[in-house]
Formats: sequence, structure tokens, C-alpha cells
Amino acid sequence: MLLEMQYIRKMYGNSVLANDDMSLELAEGEVLAIVGENGAGKSTMMKILYGLEAPTSGNIIVRGERCTFKNPQEAIKKGIGMVQQNFMLLPPFSVAENVVYGNEPKKMGLFFDRKKAIKEVRELGEKYDLKINPELKVQDCPVGIQQRCEILKVLYQNTDIIIFDEPSAVLTPQEVEGLLNTIRQLAAMGKSVIIITHKLNEVMKVSDRCIVMRAGKHIAALKTSETNTKELSALMVGRKIIDTEIPPITKGEKVLEVKELCAIGSMGQQALGNCNIHVNAGEIVGIAGVSGNGQTELLHILIGLMKAAGGEVLLNGKPITNLPVRSIREAGCAYVPEDRNTMGAALNATLMETMLMAHQYDVKLNHKGILQYNTADKRFSSMLEEHDVRYFSLRQKAGELSGGNLQKLIVAREMSHGARLQIISEPTRGVDIGAMEFIHNQMIAQRNNGIAILLVSSDLSEMMKLSDRIYVMYDGLINGEVQRGELTSEEIGVLMMGGNLGEKV
Amino acid sequence: MKKCKAKSLLKKSAKILVHPLIAIICGILVGAVVIFLAGENPLDVYVQMFQKSFLNIYYLLQTLTRSVPIIACSLSVIISWKAGYINLGTEGQMIAGGFVGTIVAIYMPGPTYLVMAAAFIAAMATGSILSLFSAFIFDKFGVSIVISTLMMNYAINYITNYFITFPLRDTGSSLAIQSKEIHAAMKLPRLVEGNTFNLGFIIAVLLVAAITFIIFKTNFGYESKMTGLNPIFAQYGGIKKGRVMYSTMALSGMLAAVAGLLEIFGVKYRFLEGMFTSTSYAWTGLMSGLISSLNPIGAFFVSIFLSGMQVGGTAIQRTTSIPLQVSTLIQATITLFVSVKITINFAKKNKFVSRGTNSAKKVGEE
Repeated sequence: MLLEMQYIRKMYGNSVLANDDMSLELAEGEVLAIVGENGAGKSTMMKILYGLEAPTSGNIIVRGERCTFKNPQEAIKKGIGMVQQNFMLLPPFSVAENVVYGNEPKKMGLFFDRKKAIKEVRELGEKYDLKINPELKVQDCPVGIQQRCEILKVLYQNTDIIIFDEPSAVLTPQEVEGLLNTIRQLAAMGKSVIIITHKLNEVMKVSDRCIVMRAGKHIAALKTSETNTKELSALMVGRKIIDTEIPPITKGEKVLEVKELCAIGSMGQQALGNCNIHVNAGEIVGIAGVSGNGQTELLHILIGLMKAAGGEVLLNGKPITNLPVRSIREAGCAYVPEDRNTMGAALNATLMETMLMAHQYDVKLNHKGILQYNTADKRFSSMLEEHDVRYFSLRQKAGELSGGNLQKLIVAREMSHGARLQIISEPTRGVDIGAMEFIHNQMIAQRNNGIAILLVSSDLSEMMKLSDRIYVMYDGLINGEVQRGELTSEEIGVLMMGGNLGEKV
Repeated sequence: MKKCKAKSLLKKSAKILVHPLIAIICGILVGAVVIFLAGENPLDVYVQMFQKSFLNIYYLLQTLTRSVPIIACSLSVIISWKAGYINLGTEGQMIAGGFVGTIVAIYMPGPTYLVMAAAFIAAMATGSILSLFSAFIFDKFGVSIVISTLMMNYAINYITNYFITFPLRDTGSSLAIQSKEIHAAMKLPRLVEGNTFNLGFIIAVLLVAAITFIIFKTNFGYESKMTGLNPIFAQYGGIKKGRVMYSTMALSGMLAAVAGLLEIFGVKYRFLEGMFTSTSYAWTGLMSGLISSLNPIGAFFVSIFLSGMQVGGTAIQRTTSIPLQVSTLIQATITLFVSVKITINFAKKNKFVSRGTNSAKKVGEE
């Protein structure tokens, strides 16, 4: 056996047990997936293996030899490398410089040999089929290429065991596909891979075996070929996940109507061209598209964060084009933004302050400019409880909540406006299965109550599950409108890439 | 659950206090080393210093009197900094406000209270016009508020110096470069016989209460705090960025002007050349704002403490070989230790936001 981890325990302080008697083994050329909800202890386990954390007790055995790693350097010496979730790259430097960083080829044992570095990195890329221009600066590379650079860096260190920590969290669907191929390729060339994830379709595609963790404990070890996503998700969450029935759509009146909307992007390019869409009451309408094709601009114009260059937006039949955010919100529009950390919350603000945003004009909470914190306290506590947000106190900082809980808080805040139009962008990005299920059910309940929902998501399966109708956007234009169940995800993918279904391959 | 809440609150407030206390202890220790190197016994000097600033009633009142403009300046800093707008022009706004207020008080005819009201209004208008000008050129041309407010300090100082040296100088009295005295009826009443301690201190306390209320209870306070913490989040919630900037900057300039007025109407009764630059009230106020992490009540006590350091420092200058600069040194050290924390927090925050570019850690590791 290449690697064994036996009876690993990890305590933080005296009370928090992050890993409880976890064991795993890894054979050569094998892809092992570790799955579990956020906070299940997957990352801790890998940090212990990579020398970032010391276990409270337990053994690590590499090729039959017992090891203790005081730091990542010692782990790397034993052939263990890790592709971090947050890339550890130097953006102003070239790909080659980043890859060889720490083990630079030297001229006369003293000077950095840049030419040799570029050559070595190019050869390495060709060997593992990770095509990349080593002379490009990292800051000019898209995220997918940056990750490739990170993988090359680990390979350059001559590692045989490669750990991937939530590798697909930052990638677009196309990039994810590429990444999964890379991982299979690495395994085929004899490397062993451990991948931490909570995306089960990726587990099914890429792994040979998987280990399910829950609350720091080992729950199950399964052969991937003998299981399915339903079983895995039930094991992860500890109960059966029931797909909510979505009742057939009831025809409602038009809540949102966008006519001939145009916008100029930040680089002076056309971001939106003659965009026509509408959303009816009691309907979830999705906008599918590779990110950066005008979705963000469209949503920002709808909520008032960006000005339209032409066209008209009607909410409940009244024009709201280019009004300030507050007026648009008061006209009946709520928005769950794509990025909860930069737009949806201030991480250093308290939960109270985060919840209050856009509620501060409510006359019940604001008597002539003086905020009624006692009333707000009661209202928000019950709201957070209803939305199953796990928090300690309304005075704690928003940044202290886990991603899933913060997302539930934002969803609760926006839904509680009772707005007739709810714009929801990336509702479940980086959120675990329990929270995802909860948010989806909330959205469906709102829809059934006659609310119009406009959904943008980079997760096509989420989009196809929830949406009654999907517009596909490509290059700022609407490249197709699809009813529920009309097309397969592959066909929608063709539209997303700018093709049309007449020339279907 | 309730018990838990109370406990965490206690813990939190302890946490807030711990850091400034450590900084103050560090400052006093650094000062002790310097005093020791100068050949005096640090303990003796400190005992004297505290006796002649807090423990003796005469000096205590002196300390409180001196703290008045410092408190007002710290409020000025807190209001703008909380919203994320770094107003470094408190000194200039204080000078200009004090100058205009004094001139109006001296030369405007009419009943005393009307003139006094006019003087306060004119002073506050002057202070806020200056800060609003910086806000405006930032809004329209992107000129950094830090730079423009800081630079304006010098311009205003020299312009008022010109007026007080030439056209408006009181030639009748002494050789000092100063204006005429304001009418006796306009002087803020003294509260204790034989001491400069005056109504200004009560006004300062009321100002602290008012600003505390504004920051913690009003929508204006909430919106400006949110703008300071995350402007994108604030905008997303419908808060108008421009309005928050103009209103906080205006209020900040007003408070600075009030600081100047309180010193003139309460203590000096006339405008003197360099009266605010040589005493560096504005910068002491800035320090107290920073030490208290922009909390007005904290700033009130820190201002009194810093004022006491200065009063005590002046007193020991007379009896020992230790110059006043030692108390400045202690102040600066305290501020330095507090800023270290602010910088670390800032760096942490940046690291959190810029995913994929936080390479500093990696450099540290290898």
C-alpha cells in the first residue's frame, strides 16, 4: 500500500473534535474521493497529511515507513503534494517562475536559469498533457489555467500523491470537465490522487473509491462503481434527500419585462445587445450561459447598480429603468448576489447589521431616522430560525458564519422583503448539500406562492432542476429560449457556446 | 442561551479593552526607558507626572480643560473615518473655523447672543465647506481625500497667519501676534474659581453623547458604518454612496470647527498665531480616535488620558530634566502599537478578499 493513515484523531482545544478515528488507505494509480458536508473534517484530514496540522494521535505510513510531518516541506520530500483551494501563486510572475519557485534550476549554482525553467515547465506540461504557455504572467491567466499552473507546481516537486482540495469550486463547467480529465490522466500515468469535494457528480466521474465523512467520523468506504449519487448524498447528510416535487406551472401575469435592453461593459464593449426577456408570476426563469456573457450586467441593471445604454425594464408594468437601487427595491425587487462575501455582506459587520441591509427603510424599523434595534432583534431572530441559520448571537460578525449559513442568511434577508420579483444568482455556490436542499425548497415555495424568480447559476443541473423556462445567453445576446424538459443539458451546452440547434452535431 | 450571550458580550468588551491597554503599557515602558537613559528615575517621574495631571484637583481641571478640543477633534475623525473617508484635515478645519468664528464675534455688531450664534454658525459652515471641497474634488476628479485634506492644513494655516499678522492684528496690546479679544459676555463661563475649567467641557460631553447616539442608533450612523465596512454591500442595499460621503465629511468638518471655537471661547478668548498647530490638538484627537478604534465613548476617555500626559509632561519639565517631548513620545508609541493591530487586521482582510493572490503566506512558508 502506498499510503495509510490510521486512527487519526484531531482535537482543537479541549472540545472540538475535527477527526475521530479516521483511517484511509491509497494504492498506486488510484483516485480516492473524500466526500462530506462542509465542516465534516475532510480538509483537516488532508492538512494533517500535508504537514499543515499535527494530529492529536494516529499514524501516517508512506510505503511502509511511519512518518511524522512537521511542515509541508517534509511531506513533499515523501512525495506528497497538495493543490490548495486558494491558489498559492505570485500573480505578477510568469507561469514558469511560479512552477519552479523554491526549486529553481540554477546557473553555476547561483543564478536563476530562466531559460531552463521555461524549457522544463514546457516539457512537464507536454508530458502530462497540461498545455500552458510558461512565459505568460499568472495574473493574465484565467482561473482554470492558474489551477493548471498550481498542478504543474506540485508535479514539479516530484510528488506521487496529489491532494486536490475542492478543486472545482472556482471553475466554470467547461474547466471542470478539463480538470477531471487531467486527474484521470494523472492516475493513468501512475500518480495517486486524493480529491476532497462535495460535488457528487464529480466523484462519480473521476474516482475509483470514495470515503464518506460526517462530523469528523468515518461513515462509509465504497467502490464508486457500486454506488450512486443518491446513496452518497444520503450517507453524507445522514438522512434521505427527497427531491421536492415541483407542481405544474400556473399561468401568472408578467412581473418583469425587459425590452431591447442594451449595455456597454467596463471595457467599452457591448455587454448586452437588444435583450428581451420576461418573467411571470409563479415562475422560475433561468438564465444559462458561460459566466461573462452578460448575465452580471443584466442583473446589475435590473437592480440599479449599473446604467443601461438603451431599452426598457418594466416591473409590474411600471418602468424602473436606470432608477436608483433603493427605488427599484421599493418597487418590489430583491436580489441575492452572486458573490456573498463582496456584495451580499460585510464580513466585519454584525449579523444584525448584515440582516438590516435594505430593511433600514422599513417604517417599523426606522422611526424618523432612528433605528429600532429591539424590534429588529425579534424579527431577525425568528427569521434566522425559520431559515435554519446556525448562529450564536446577532452581535457576532458575519465573517464568522460558514459559507452555507451566510448564504442562508442572505436568502432569508432578501426573501423577507416580500418582493414580487426575486433575482437569485448562484444560490448554492460553495454550499453543502443540506443548505442547498434548503435553499432550493425555499425558492420552490416562493414560486408556488406566486413570486417571480429570475435565476442565474453556473451549475447547469441546478438550473435545469429548478427552472420552468431557460434563456440561454451568449455574448450579450439571448441565444435561445427553452421550456422545462425540452432540451438535454448537452443541447443547452451547444446554445451556451454560441451554436444553434440546426447545426447540431 | 441568555447567560451565554451575556458572557460573550463581557468577553467581547474585554477583548476591545485589552489591546489599547497593552499599547498604553508598552508606551509607558518605552517612555520609562528614555527617562532612565536621561538619568532620572522613571518611577519618580511617572508618579510626579500623574500627580500633576490627575491626582491633584487643580491639575485635573487643567487636564479636563485641555481635553475639550482634543475630544471634539477625535469625534471629527471618528465620524469621517467610520464611513471610510480618511479626513486628515481636522487641523485646517479647526483653524479656519476658529478664525472665522472669532472674527465674526469681534466685528459683527448686534446683541451678544445673536452674534455668538452667528459666530458658531459661520465657523461650522467654514469647517464643513473645507471638508466638502475635498469630498467634491474626490467625487468629480478622483483626488484622494487623504492628500487634499492634509495639504489644505498648510494652506489654511498660512492664510490665517497672514490675516492675523497684518490686517486683523490687535496692534494695541502686546507684541504677540493675535487678534483682539472677544466681548466678555461671549466668553464661556468658568465653572470653578481660579481655574480655566469652563462650560466647554460640558459641551464636549454632550457632543460625545450626541455622536454616540448618531453612530449607534440612527440610520445615518448605520449607513455610514456599512459604507466604511464594504461600500459595494452598502450600494447593493440602496445606500447612496455620495450622500454618505458628503454628509459625513460635512459633519466631520463642523466638529473640527467646534473644537477650535471651544478652545477660543472657553480658554484663550482670541485667535493667536499658531495656537492650534503648536498644541497639535487635531493630531492628538486623531490618535485618540485610533486608540479607541473609532468608538466615541472610548475616545472621550483616551482624549482625557492623552491630555493628562501633556499636562503632566509640561509640569515635570519644570521640576526635572525630562522635556515635554517624552510625553509626546509615549503618545506616539501608544498610537504605533495600536496601528500595528489596525494594519494586521487590514492585511488579514485583504488576504481574505483576494483569493488566488495571497502568495505572501507561501513566501513565508518556504
